[in-house]
Amino acid sequence: MIQSPNPELDLTISRVIKAPRSAVWSAWTDPGSFEQWWIPAPAKCKVVDMDLRPGGAFTTRISEDGGDFKPHLSGCFLRIDDLERIVFTNALVGGWRPAEQAFMTAIITLRDHPMGTDYAAHVMHKNGADRAMHQEMGFHDGWGTVAEQLARLVERRS
Amino acid sequence: MEQYHQQLDRVFQALADPTRRAVLGRLGQGPASISELAQPFDMALPSFMKHIHFLEDSGWIRTRKEGRVRTCSIEKKPFAAVEAWLSEQRALWEGRTDRLERFVAASQQQEKPE
Repeated sequence: MIQSPNPELDLTISRVIKAPRSAVWSAWTDPGSFEQWWIPAPAKCKVVDMDLRPGGAFTTRISEDGGDFKPHLSGCFLRIDDLERIVFTNALVGGWRPAEQAFMTAIITLRDHPMGTDYAAHVMHKNGADRAMHQEMGFHDGWGTVAEQLARLVERRS
Repeated sequence: MEQYHQQLDRVFQALADPTRRAVLGRLGQGPASISELAQPFDMALPSFMKHIHFLEDSGWIRTRKEGRVRTCSIEKKPFAAVEAWLSEQRALWEGRTDRLERFVAASQQQEKPE
């Protein structure tokens, strides 16, 4: 149920992951697994809440370079369809309480594919003014150096 | 790169204020004088000028003085920076998806005895 994407505010990432849907689902929904890929190294992610039901809290913290864990994502799940779909937003926090700062809703979709799983993330953003805050948050995620860190990860793995 | 980020911060900070957004909205229709721009706001001129200076420093507008009248006009460049913001968000989610893919692949490998 994705309604008319807005090219200025929305983005869609899709990828065929060569693994069964159950494996991708578990990487997303098991907090210990999620922590290992959500944030690029050397920053570390800690899942505080991952209450997988509509209205359930979704809270993560981030530690950059091994320091204290600071707030990162603070949101709630809007919809959970087992093995198929995860919808979350930071416009609300756990128990549907309105969030102080809101800028996005993300829809994660998993579909069967002959090669494994067709994975898609559709992310909708609020308009311009709130981007300042998101930009700051994106900065924590290290978006400026994501490519570089990925390269390092690949080198380590290979 | 650091300088680019700082510059980008300024561009977004400029948008994070309703007065400045309104000024940009008005200038989107064409150049205007300071007094014309200030008119809809219940604000002392020095306070209003702070917003104008912020917009000018962050690169959103240009001002030009002719006689006693200072005219403001909008700049195109920051719009490109805002567009770049979305591509940064894209890079962030691409990165997440890449890491998820690698994580799942590595987990699958571990399950298979070799």
